Amino acid sequence: MLDIAFAKTALPKSGALALLLEEGAAADSPTAALLAAADEATGGAVSRALAAAEFKGKRGQTVTVLAPGAGLSRVVAVGLGNLDGIEARHLEDAGGHVAVALAREAAGAISTAGLSGAQAANVAMGAVLRGYRFDRYRTTEKPEDKPKFAKATVLTGEVPKARDAWTSLKAVAEGVFLSRDLVSEPANVLTPAEMAERCRKLESLGLKVEVFGPKEMTKLGFGALMGVAMGSACEPRMVVMHWNGAGGAKGRAKPAKPLAFIGKGVTFDTGGISIKPAGGMEDMKWDMGGAGTVIGLMAALAGRRAKVDVVGLVGLVENMPSGTAQRPGDVVKTYSGQTVEVINTDAEGRLVLADVLWYCQQKFDPRFMVDLATLTGAMIIALGHEYAGFFSNDDALSQQLYDAGTASGEKVWRMPLAEAYDKQIKSDIADMKNVGGRPGGAITAAQFIQRFVNGKPWAHLDVAGMVWSSKDAPTIPKGATAFGVRLLDRMVAENYEG
Amino acid sequence: MLEVRIGRTAPAATAIAVPVAAGAPMPEQARAAAAVDGFTGAAGTLCDISTAQGRLLLVGTGDRPNLTEAGARAAAALLGVAHVALDAHALSPADAAAFAAGACLRAWRFDRLKTRPEPDAPKLAAIDLLTDTPDAVEAAWRTTSAGVRGALFARDLVAEPGNILTPQEFIERLAPLARHGVAIGVLGRPELKRQGLGALLAVGGGSVHPPALAVLRWKGRLRAPPVAFVGKGITFDTGGISIKPAAGMEAMRGDMAGAAACAGAIMALALRNSPAPAIAVLAIAENATGAASYRPGDVLRSFSGRTIEVIDTDAEGRLVLADALAWTARQHKPRAMIDLATLTGSIVTALGHHMAGLFDNDAALAARVAAAGRFCGELVWRMPIGEGHRRDLDSAIADLKHCLPERMQPDACHAAAFLREFAGTTPWVHLDIAGVAARATAEPAHAAGPTGFGVRLLDRLVAEHFETA
Repeated sequence: MLDIAFAKTALPKSGALALLLEEGAAADSPTAALLAAADEATGGAVSRALAAAEFKGKRGQTVTVLAPGAGLSRVVAVGLGNLDGIEARHLEDAGGHVAVALAREAAGAISTAGLSGAQAANVAMGAVLRGYRFDRYRTTEKPEDKPKFAKATVLTGEVPKARDAWTSLKAVAEGVFLSRDLVSEPANVLTPAEMAERCRKLESLGLKVEVFGPKEMTKLGFGALMGVAMGSACEPRMVVMHWNGAGGAKGRAKPAKPLAFIGKGVTFDTGGISIKPAGGMEDMKWDMGGAGTVIGLMAALAGRRAKVDVVGLVGLVENMPSGTAQRPGDVVKTYSGQTVEVINTDAEGRLVLADVLWYCQQKFDPRFMVDLATLTGAMIIALGHEYAGFFSNDDALSQQLYDAGTASGEKVWRMPLAEAYDKQIKSDIADMKNVGGRPGGAITAAQFIQRFVNGKPWAHLDVAGMVWSSKDAPTIPKGATAFGVRLLDRMVAENYEG
Repeated sequence: MLEVRIGRTAPAATAIAVPVAAGAPMPEQARAAAAVDGFTGAAGTLCDISTAQGRLLLVGTGDRPNLTEAGARAAAALLGVAHVALDAHALSPADAAAFAAGACLRAWRFDRLKTRPEPDAPKLAAIDLLTDTPDAVEAAWRTTSAGVRGALFARDLVAEPGNILTPQEFIERLAPLARHGVAIGVLGRPELKRQGLGALLAVGGGSVHPPALAVLRWKGRLRAPPVAFVGKGITFDTGGISIKPAAGMEAMRGDMAGAAACAGAIMALALRNSPAPAIAVLAIAENATGAASYRPGDVLRSFSGRTIEVIDTDAEGRLVLADALAWTARQHKPRAMIDLATLTGSIVTALGHHMAGLFDNDAALAARVAAAGRFCGELVWRMPIGEGHRRDLDSAIADLKHCLPERMQPDACHAAAFLREFAGTTPWVHLDIAGVAARATAEPAHAAGPTGFGVRLLDRLVAEHFETA
């Protein structure tokens, strides 16, 4: 992770310098303080170069000036746009642009003159997030091809405030990185057992971690989850992570009503006997993206000692075709007692969630349950990669999610639930089927899941289109996005921390 | 349409339907049978009883009565009876009218093209509303029936096959609206060329039947800009050069349901003499595969002046709407524009067959449309247009593309992002009705076939929000 330090605003005597400049910055604009100093030191070289490149300071605009003089290796100008109404996510984006522009430098200074200490921390966050790289399987990559940017000194007029804000943000960044690592790992490495072990390691952050194996889950009666898992040589797991932060720093009192987050963790989805086509199947290593987000979120909340009691549950399975795999037409008995006719073994995520959700509401009586799952292709056909769709039985919770989505830039859009859709999963021989036909596929999946929340306040996020990106974004390099970690961290911080 | 009479007696009726709310008292002669059947007036339930006076059908309306649905269920159960009465004594005039509306909508059938009577064909032809306040019920029915007639008019158009309802025939079928005071104008191919509706011309260019823009104007009485309904009227969609697979293609005779709904809505406003000025603009064409068809990769110059790179000729609805929306906005400066179109498979995947997708550039208008839909049982769900949806349409050689070629695209959102470019600053709502324009099979509350979705919604929208200046 990019190393971040904060220091007073001053022109560096060497190395790289990034200037964050507001749109149409006059020479005396507060954001242009160091630009003026850099010009003085380089005889106006920086401003001349910016003018030649028609730099206007619009959001997203980036100009690099190589070796302008005064010992500086390069000066990068990144536009902030209009400072009126600038939000955290815009500052993060700017930090991301800086990280890209300074990739060839080992270290650099980032000027946040004219911004507050908290805003400086946002910029740092963006640079850190954009600098994420999953390269542990590269053995022949030449050093000169690797990005070098390893240390950023963020220059600010409010060093103590910036440091303070950064402490929390860094914990969230670590949660994001953990989530991205998990989703990026291929399935031969990240089996359910291995994923559970990685959760165990979070005990060092103060989480209490329980791991359930096939024996326990069979004994409990997790017929739906075990049905999905039974075709794989890799054993399933359910991991329950507790963060009890509401009682203060040492608070270990049993939580009365925690917040609950539940994640689908299918470490690889072949579809099972209802096998998927070959083309693109490699993507299914990220079918545990929902669980990845929950794990990253728990790490973030614990890392920043959030003042809230939270329980995170992930159901981890591998969906494989084999002689022992479940068959289309099988009827399984879920932990709730309801029976399900498994029409399509590739609609397995909802089966995993069914048992974990019922267990969660039964055991913990949570204030709400928010589940995340890379659940349906239908969701991608509905909203693409712009919004995660969510379904909920609670308007207040829905509004909180929507607002946190807008603020964090991890956008969500509410989709409907209705009796007419619920009817589509009616079975002739069991309490329900696990599919409802192609039309409204994401909705009927949500209707299925709703039957396992026992009326508790609940929201289901179908993140199928959001956990992996095929192109770079300002704070998210191509690959695993960790969608939802920042959204939910924000939602908790805004609404649930005492 | 069923013949609806309103009076105090119904001597010709051989069956009578009686609405019963949840737990409400039942007619004396029905009590024993109802008890045996477990009928308590729950919504959606019926109890069919034979009494000395004839057939008696108890229609449960539940706790929050939906009389339109009750009327539909009653009609479904009584399709074999030629003449039915409804006991509306306990109903408000609005509810009595709603019941009759439900019965008319459910009893609708398209049998114009059948030459032999079928043995099990429905016989239901007339319904008498029994009431002690016939004048009040008459007045309510006058208003409600306008929307019903508009919806059935739309259904009749949608049901017609592609060889019969060609673009020219579609226009012919609009002519009778003039009798109700609707002014009809048609821009044929030469005029479309002159005015520069390049997208509509391209889409319709492969067919032997030339495309046209039909404009229906209802003057109303208000001094206000009109509210505009813009409809996709593809009389048959082969997909064009990007031809569709054969299986199920016959359904594409219904690809003009949006335009039909707009025409039905104007008809409804005219029939009930709405004070609101309104205009329906129908983009009518056949998307045929032929030597003169437009090609993937073609760049079209639209009425608005923008150039469009064609990617898939089967995404033609948004092309004809682009011209129709821009033309309507410029020529008529409406106070609001609502377009209806059987536009994307994506919206069917997203929302199934129970709700239409709504996209907009005006949240207040969107909320009003949604409320009107809820009132009529024509449900819509608001969907977003994301920044990325528009960016995806950036083109290397034209101002924008109209869709993306890859699989698994959020095509309904792409289409909406595309259309928004042509709506400009006019308050605009787009309804993607691909999933709700027709039903595959009949149900107790719904006839099979075209639904006429949108007619009653638009009628209600105008009544609630556009009948004052």
